[in-house]
Amino acid sequence: MSLQIIINFTLTRIRANMSKGDENSYFYWDPLNDHEADSLTNTAMARIKKDLMTLYTDTPPGIFAVGDEKNLKFIYALIIGPMNTPYQGGFFYFVLKCPNDYPIQPPRMKLLTTDGGRVRFNPNLYETGKICVSILGTWTGPAWSPAQQISTWSPAQQISSLLLTIQSLLNEKPYYNEPGFDKEMVPGDSDRYNEIITYQTLRVAVCGMVENDCGLNIPESLQNIIKQSFLNFYEEYLLTIESKLHLSGTSVVDPFTSVAIKLDYAELRNRLVSIHSRLSASKSQEE
Amino acid sequence: MKVIIKNWTGVATWKWIANDDNCGICRMPFDGCCPDCKLPGDDCPLVWGECSHCFHMHCIMKWLQSQQVNQQCPMCRQEWKFNNK
Repeated sequence: MSLQIIINFTLTRIRANMSKGDENSYFYWDPLNDHEADSLTNTAMARIKKDLMTLYTDTPPGIFAVGDEKNLKFIYALIIGPMNTPYQGGFFYFVLKCPNDYPIQPPRMKLLTTDGGRVRFNPNLYETGKICVSILGTWTGPAWSPAQQISTWSPAQQISSLLLTIQSLLNEKPYYNEPGFDKEMVPGDSDRYNEIITYQTLRVAVCGMVENDCGLNIPESLQNIIKQSFLNFYEEYLLTIESKLHLSGTSVVDPFTSVAIKLDYAELRNRLVSIHSRLSASKSQEE
Repeated sequence: MKVIIKNWTGVATWKWIANDDNCGICRMPFDGCCPDCKLPGDDCPLVWGECSHCFHMHCIMKWLQSQQVNQQCPMCRQEWKFNNK
């Protein structure tokens, strides 16, 4: 066993222990399990409004966010997977909660596009919804990937710069986001990982999100963006699925978990087509 | 024509000379005060770091107090030192 492998093995063990064990660290990141009383400082209230205004007026491409009408602390964000990545056209839905002393402390942030806690979309985006990046204070190790090098939270950061950092995790070769994986453990691992992410994006982050099969509480404005974007990206989705149809029925082993993922592109194609005909029918009815 | 001034009221304006319009922490204009103050002026002063970045004193103090180790400028992440010049 080479030193590299031992280090990686240890890192995986540490991570497994962290996600299971420490209850405090669990609550530390989860915006939906945070029981801090609502008493925002004046600075926090003014800053959250400014941050939202920046998001509305100077929206970064592929990022949409809305504030909560009843509670200023909550912000709901949608990041669309960038083109030419395995995340292409996927709908990644996040909940953010600003602490009372924002922007001294970073918001807590959770990914809810996880197929009900079953799919880990990225080495930094856990199936529990935890986002492991130094800008959120949820990764305290050394900076490995370019996204981590943007470094820790500072009050000069704001919600839109934070969302841009998260968007940069959805890149062409997410395999290398894993700390210590600057080289493939087994040749072809990065391609195999992309194969899995491409499939899960279409299944969970596209079809699953349009149908909202996990019953997520998504603000209506973001739901409308999802539906409209689905219609815009439909041809792209279909092209990807058709180029992968020959893989239908085969399995790919996840290089991180060693779990075999079955690629069922034939079924996915039917699902995509039926969503499309349903959506376009209801759209033409509206018009 | 002769004008006799019976009385007059002087009006002066002032503004902070900072290298930016807004505080990088609260994002409010320097010509106003930080969101925890009511009136701009001496009660809500600006301070400069040796790195040349400028903040409301109240804002930067809250940030520095939250950082036990490595007190850094929020903008450039250099070690924060007050510029007393």
